[in-house]
Amino acid sequence: MNRLCDMEPRVMDDEMLKLAVGEQGPRDEAGQLAKQEGILFKDVLSLQLDFQNILRIDSLWQFENLRKLQLDNNVIEKIEGLENLTHLVWLDLSFNNIEAIEGLDTLVNLEDLSLFNNRISKIDSLDALAKLQVLSLGNNQIGNMMNIIYLRRFKDLRTLSLSGNPVAEAEDYRTCICAYLPDLVYLDFRRIDDQTKELAEMKHQYSVDELKHRESLMQARLEDERARREELAEHEAAFVEHLNGPFLFDSMYAEDVEGSQLSHLPGVGELLQTYKDKFVIICLNIFEYGLKQQEKRKAELDTFMGCVQEAVQEKQEQGKHKIAKFEEKHLLSLSSIRDESELTNFEIKMAEYSEDITELANVLMTLEMQLVEQLEETINMFERNIIDLVGLFVENVQSLMAQCRDLENHHHEKLLEIAISTLEKIVKGELDEDLPDAVRSLFVDKDTIVNAVGASHDIHLLKIDNREDELVTRVNSWCAHLVDKIHKDEIMRNRRRVKEINQYIDHVQSELDSLECSDLLD
Amino acid sequence: MEVLKEKVEEEEEAERAERGEKMMRPMEVRKEETIMTQEMLRDLERKLSKIEVSIPEKPSTFTKDAIDISKLPLSYQSNTPKEEHLLQVADNFSRQYSHLCPDRVPLFLHPVNECEVPKFVSTTIRPTLMPYPELYNWDTCAQFVSDFLYAVPLPDPLKPPSYLYSSTTVLKYQKGNCFDFSTLLCSMLIGAGYDAYCVYGYGSQDLCHMDLTREVCPLTVKPKEMVKEEEKAPPKKYAVKPPRDLTSRFEQEQEIKRQEAIKAEEERRLKQEEERLVEQESAKTDPLHGLRVHSWVLVLSGKREVPESFFIDPFTGRSYSTQDDHFLGIESLWNHKNYWVNMQDCWNCCKDLVFDLGDPVRWEYLLLGTDKPLLSLTEEEDDGTNDDDDVENLGKEDEDKSFDMPCSWVEQIEISPEAFETRCPNGKKVIQYKRAKLEKWAPYLNNNGLVCRLTTYEDLECTKTLEIKEWFQNREDMLELKHINKVTGLNIDYFKPGHPQALRVHSYTSMQPEMDRVMEFYETARVDGLIKREETPRTMTEYYQGRPDLLSYRHVNFGPRIKKLALNSAESNPRPVVKITERFFRNPAKPADEDVAERVFLILDERIQLRYHCREDRITASKREFLWRTEGDSKGNKIIMTPDMCLSFEVEPMEHTKKLLYQPEAMMKLKNEEKLSRHQAWESELEVLEILKLREEEEAAHALTISIYDTKRNEKSKEYREAMERVMHEEHLWQVEAQLDYLAPFLAQLPPGEKLTRWQAVRLKDECLSDFKQRLIDKANLIQARFEKETQELQKQQQWYQENQVTLTPEDEDLYLSYCSQAMFRIRILEQRLNRHKELAPLKYLALEEKLYKDPRLVELLKVFV
Repeated sequence: MNRLCDMEPRVMDDEMLKLAVGEQGPRDEAGQLAKQEGILFKDVLSLQLDFQNILRIDSLWQFENLRKLQLDNNVIEKIEGLENLTHLVWLDLSFNNIEAIEGLDTLVNLEDLSLFNNRISKIDSLDALAKLQVLSLGNNQIGNMMNIIYLRRFKDLRTLSLSGNPVAEAEDYRTCICAYLPDLVYLDFRRIDDQTKELAEMKHQYSVDELKHRESLMQARLEDERARREELAEHEAAFVEHLNGPFLFDSMYAEDVEGSQLSHLPGVGELLQTYKDKFVIICLNIFEYGLKQQEKRKAELDTFMGCVQEAVQEKQEQGKHKIAKFEEKHLLSLSSIRDESELTNFEIKMAEYSEDITELANVLMTLEMQLVEQLEETINMFERNIIDLVGLFVENVQSLMAQCRDLENHHHEKLLEIAISTLEKIVKGELDEDLPDAVRSLFVDKDTIVNAVGASHDIHLLKIDNREDELVTRVNSWCAHLVDKIHKDEIMRNRRRVKEINQYIDHVQSELDSLECSDLLD
Repeated sequence: MEVLKEKVEEEEEAERAERGEKMMRPMEVRKEETIMTQEMLRDLERKLSKIEVSIPEKPSTFTKDAIDISKLPLSYQSNTPKEEHLLQVADNFSRQYSHLCPDRVPLFLHPVNECEVPKFVSTTIRPTLMPYPELYNWDTCAQFVSDFLYAVPLPDPLKPPSYLYSSTTVLKYQKGNCFDFSTLLCSMLIGAGYDAYCVYGYGSQDLCHMDLTREVCPLTVKPKEMVKEEEKAPPKKYAVKPPRDLTSRFEQEQEIKRQEAIKAEEERRLKQEEERLVEQESAKTDPLHGLRVHSWVLVLSGKREVPESFFIDPFTGRSYSTQDDHFLGIESLWNHKNYWVNMQDCWNCCKDLVFDLGDPVRWEYLLLGTDKPLLSLTEEEDDGTNDDDDVENLGKEDEDKSFDMPCSWVEQIEISPEAFETRCPNGKKVIQYKRAKLEKWAPYLNNNGLVCRLTTYEDLECTKTLEIKEWFQNREDMLELKHINKVTGLNIDYFKPGHPQALRVHSYTSMQPEMDRVMEFYETARVDGLIKREETPRTMTEYYQGRPDLLSYRHVNFGPRIKKLALNSAESNPRPVVKITERFFRNPAKPADEDVAERVFLILDERIQLRYHCREDRITASKREFLWRTEGDSKGNKIIMTPDMCLSFEVEPMEHTKKLLYQPEAMMKLKNEEKLSRHQAWESELEVLEILKLREEEEAAHALTISIYDTKRNEKSKEYREAMERVMHEEHLWQVEAQLDYLAPFLAQLPPGEKLTRWQAVRLKDECLSDFKQRLIDKANLIQARFEKETQELQKQQQWYQENQVTLTPEDEDLYLSYCSQAMFRIRILEQRLNRHKELAPLKYLALEEKLYKDPRLVELLKVFV
């Protein structure tokens, strides 16, 4: 804003970053090493890029472990390119040309944020910064006091600076902020004394109380919502969501125009009611059964996982023990080899040692192979059991669904009867009650009314079928996924262990080789 | 039971005689036995009198002459009518009993007490609940009785004594025979709520002589290790199957067989050895077996949650099962309410006895109507049919149904706290066990706090000492137990919490530093969390717990000392450290690959080895090794890190690209830590020296602590208390003085009960004042007179001296001079007193006047004059 822009605006590039890292890297002895080897961006913890006339933030994605980043006194206009710096604790963007707060959603560890001397007019988009402690927003263009209320969500916020904003010119600026942010300790780099706090509290008591009330209401609503969502998630995991009530029944009638029209017929209301009751009972049965089965599956899975864990642990212990024993011996033998002067003895010992290494490799591999075999057997058993369980569940649900269908059929017949008798009455002109015109229009002839009732019936059956299909496909796919994942995990585990063993053996072998080499050189 | 009526009809008598015969039949075995042994006995007695004369170690000095009966209360010296009646009843019972069972020894019913008065045994029991919580349970109670009294053998080992003293006398003289012991113990147990009985019966020789040399000392018996049955969780559904066993089963079986054969051989050998030993031990048999009279205590199940009846031997305070081999038979038993005679056969010691005192067939009772347990219904009915008639005859005439036991004639048992604490007579007791000797002392008796010493021997004759255990109490250095193994020379000291260096266990062979020793500590009391420090001449190992840096273990290897100095100690010339190994617990805050598990400083090689913790799903751990060369290169430049100075093995090489770049820093840090560790090793050595010094000082001083609640021993509190008492006393005196009424003599002259008139009051005041004035003058005159008298005396002496100065001997001169100085002193004092009196007299006078004006009795009347 008020700086001289005598240089070309620049964009961050690798070269600039390398330079900066090199300059700020270690000194002296380590510095020489650093020059020799170069420094990986990944290992950099703090980076200073001030007065570089940077226009655009870029190329920072490699600095995964960066804790502190200083980008002050540049000409940055937009916060961007910081998504990868999730470990960032300190971010300084003061003295730039930023107009809006954005692009900070991934920086969950940020504690200190400075946006001093920018062009920001609204505080928002800081929701992710739950650990924020220091926020510097001085010399900006924030004009609305309501922005303060937004800051109430940061429970750890202790320091805030807002001076130099239009809002700071207001008469009750300090008291207002103290009242709305009671946990604040420093405002505009000055400690808030108790007197001010008391004064603020008194002055703004009513509005703050009102605000608090609103917030608590909101909180309660959010919590309700969350509880509901959690419950639903639980039901979904059991594949029986929306079956603990008349939801399915209601959905059957939601798109059924004829059905709702037909309900105006005399006697249909009661029929519908009993039908609904029975239907809901069956739905509830399915629901309960589903939850029970879910628990069963979960218990089964837990035992399985526990047992696998146990077996793996045991083998690991055995392996560790073997390695520890080997290392003990190895330490002795290595030193004895080193001390050996005679060539023949030396060679004998070398041979012995390499034999030991092979032996260890064999033992470790045998252990691993045993484990693989054991686990395979167990996994297969579990697979069979879980598939059986799922099969049983599907079967039972299907039979319950069949009951639903029976009910529907029954209802359909009854409805048809009533419809036909009504038609007869209408034809005979005996109908006393008034029917809405739309309904009356159905009773033109027998075909129409039969079609209408049939269409309603078809819709209902379709809904039931859909629900059933959904349940069955989901449970099956869950089962398939689970089994697949277990197999994959086991394979991964095996690969990792084999790799580990090989690495270790290679390492030991190379140690021996190096000894040999050095000895031969001597 | 009641007594039979005197007027028993002849027929009945005859009938009973028949039945008596019937009854005798089952007793025949026993009868024969007794006769046999009695014959043998006489024989043996004769022999014994010739052979064994040296048995009585101490003559029974507890004779009646020694007892002071003058201070005993009246109940000790005479019988109440009720007691007389009881004695008659007892006599009657005894007569009938001897008539019915002529072959049994007479009952022990009413021996004489210390005042030569016959007293029934049940009334000698005086149930008392002791005020000491330690004496609430039977085991501690029995132990106390056995410790407190000195055991005196019976005058005749084959007969019960003719006397039975009260517990008061027994406690006073702290000695008694087995009947005194069991009476006292029974009184205490009944008082504590147990269902306890005194038993008169027959015991083994060991029991009667309080001979424990064949018993294993209970303190040497190692507590059996509770073999914990590990609960095997039922195999889970998905537990993996164990890998197939590919070894030959046949070979295994053969191997097992071989092992078993070896084991059997070993066992057989051991058994033989044991048998030999047992034979050796039990070589001596007792010729008087089964005839030695003994008295002990029976505790029946039921009360105080006693699950099973058992015997207590009052001499040793040990409990025995009712089946024990030491107890050979029971004649009778009694408590404070009744007396029962055993009617069961004792051919198999006490093993077949049934202690159901409500069963009149097995236990003949003396008094009816006491609340003894009823015949338990589980008894087989037919068991007693053949001989229950005569029992009925003995007991069913219920003349004295309402008669119950009179109250005890004995005073309540009292044990003073001092006596309770001292326990044993003179505070010392020695018990000889099989291959062990136990010595006990009262606390504070030994000035090093020793209260108990157990010496274990290798052989039966107790000549070769195996180990010594000494228990201490109230030591200032909190030493609790000292265990000395004489074979290995290993000493182990155990401490209670509170030692200045938080020492818990110290085991050593010598107090010299740099030797084999193990010190354990109360780690919570130490800042550095040290649990244990083990030392050998060349190493020191320390174990830690709960440190913020998670150090768990440090092992230091020392090299030989470089120079032979005159003074070789850790302070002046520490041994060079060769190697330090440190281990750490896992720090959950760090990833496993960066959390050091073990680091080894090889100081001579200038090498540091690091081993990291193992990740949870891994079996290998990362390692790193640093090597450095302190000397610079030829140009004198510092050497830059080179790859061969830092060898490392990474479990996951891809994850950590630790470059050489960061190693110098890490290395510098490690170097510093090495220095720190070396320093700590040195400090540990110093601490060992310090502890050893402290221990030596403590051993030399062996100061004892005294609880602040111990008012007798705690000098400070005693002084304080005395001071308080003095202050109280003075205060009291002062109060008395304050209450002195100076008007009383003058008021007495006036007619009593009348109100004073003003005139009288004024007169009273004047009289009082003038009286006081007179007294002051008198006093002054008195002092004056004395003063003058002294002065005259002195002058006279001086005159005499001047006259005879020439002829005086030096002694006379000395005498004169000493007299002069004394007289001068007296005169000076009198002068001072006179002056002081002159000064104070007017003041005192004024004070009295003031006081009189304010006197409540005169104040109204004298107001006008003020």
